[in-house]
Amino acid sequence: MIIDVNAYLGHFAFRQLRHNTAASLLQWMDAKRIDQAVVSSASAITYRNAQAGNEEVFAEVKSHRDRLIPFAVLNPFYAGWQDDLKICHEDFGMSGLRLYPKWHNYQLSDRCCLDLVNAATDRGMVISIPVRVEDNRERSWLANVPDVPLDELAALVKACPQARFILLNGLGYVKSPLGRKDNGLPANYLIEISRLSAVLDNEIGQLLAGLGAERLVLGTGMPFSYPDPALLKLEVLDASQSDKEKIRRLNAEKWLRL
Amino acid sequence: MNTLRATLRQPRLTRRTFLKHSVATTVTLGIAAGRAADRAESGQPAAHTGSDSPSQTKVIDCHAHLDHRSRSTWEADDRKLIEAADKLGIDQLCCSILTPRRPATAEGFQECNRWVADGMQRFPGRVRGYCYVNPGYRQEALEEIRRCVEDHGFVGIKLYHEYTCTEPVVFPIVELAIELNVPILQHAGHAHYFLEDQPRISDGGRLAELSRRYPEARLICAHVCGGGDWEWTIKALRHAPGVFLDTSGSVTDEGAVEMAARVLGADRLVFGCDLSMTASVGRIRGANLSAQDKAKILGGNMAKLLQRRKS
Repeated sequence: MIIDVNAYLGHFAFRQLRHNTAASLLQWMDAKRIDQAVVSSASAITYRNAQAGNEEVFAEVKSHRDRLIPFAVLNPFYAGWQDDLKICHEDFGMSGLRLYPKWHNYQLSDRCCLDLVNAATDRGMVISIPVRVEDNRERSWLANVPDVPLDELAALVKACPQARFILLNGLGYVKSPLGRKDNGLPANYLIEISRLSAVLDNEIGQLLAGLGAERLVLGTGMPFSYPDPALLKLEVLDASQSDKEKIRRLNAEKWLRL
Repeated sequence: MNTLRATLRQPRLTRRTFLKHSVATTVTLGIAAGRAADRAESGQPAAHTGSDSPSQTKVIDCHAHLDHRSRSTWEADDRKLIEAADKLGIDQLCCSILTPRRPATAEGFQECNRWVADGMQRFPGRVRGYCYVNPGYRQEALEEIRRCVEDHGFVGIKLYHEYTCTEPVVFPIVELAIELNVPILQHAGHAHYFLEDQPRISDGGRLAELSRRYPEARLICAHVCGGGDWEWTIKALRHAPGVFLDTSGSVTDEGAVEMAARVLGADRLVFGCDLSMTASVGRIRGANLSAQDKAKILGGNMAKLLQRRKS
């Protein structure tokens, strides 16, 4: 069984996505033997009113709740986020958030953001933060959106010790406190592996040694990305089958309370 | 995975190891190997180049690098590269070494090429050499290319971003590549902003222009999946049949390989990693293409390019 914590539905403003409906994503998951996926709206990354994207995702996954786990995209500086959070959690059954501080132009340390993280945590929701949406070198002439620096993520996980975070699409953790033992940070975050190396520098192996297998989780980034690179990393990783099973499924099950 | 790793570290091209290797390649790269196994069982030649058959394809990474020896870990890093290739079912790696700082001096690129030649000796049959030169040192560059190709069996030329590939200073290099029948792997990328650290970077459009000037040259546009807007690059190369597209890079955007195959044809795509190993193998495995097309991309096309070299 495979759980993917890093998948999307809908359109992205700067590149055509394929396999971006529930039906086609599920077909693709079947082909890759992925059982469940956490999905959020790709459109909401650039919609001013992100809630419209959440409504689209809710409609898409309605009859596939056994396999597609919807997360909400919210902007804590947009009017009515408290109402949107309530609707996403209570009416749409969304069990987590995805935050885009750089795309939505705020700081993770802003009071509004901390309020959103704390409000979602009070509801038992998971907070996931993609370090990037796409490689900055391929950016459109309209948008220059930087990656979320790892030190800003480290400050957030420290500021919100009760929250449960999943950090997506990042790398370089081994050079950050986030990837080290005895880092003074709460163990309240999982690191998703889609951009980490499994050979050469082998960052996944270093994190296994440094943080432990309980802190890593599989994500693919589909349909932005081919799912195969992430799946391949797990295949070629030098690790025990039990550690791989934690990354492939068990850690996500526990974190998402499936 | 232990089996896979152990299998691929063994001496290659015995009947037994070929069988195991074929299985490993099937697992990691997703190409059919059944007929290869059958052929090996029947005692026919095992892997060889020049065939587009999925079962006969030797997997060739068209874009790899050995470490510069200013890095204290160069020897271990080179071994790690071969180990990664073993794990992923990559048979051969076409390698260059670049100077840490650009523009490269003549002494700098000559030293790099000596180390590549040494790498070819340390990893026989696995590492093939690109001769890296800075075209600004015209005489030294031309002599270096001839020496590397004719005396040391290098298979191609690597150009970085000292000059844009359409600048006249590059033309003698291209003309020598044509004479020696070797490809040029040209560092390239197209971003919608000015690259301050690479003001003379080439892109697909420049390579297409160069190919119109020298239609007989065989040019490889480097790392489409690590060179900015890959859709732009693919479209820019549509009408340049002399330019091949290297699929390497760290970006795993879905659809890139399929679009390249649709616009350029699978015959013009060559598999590469540029050290982004799992990303580059994974995108080929994930691409929605026939096994025949994947075989061409993974090694068939590059093998044909390499066979053109005058011995």
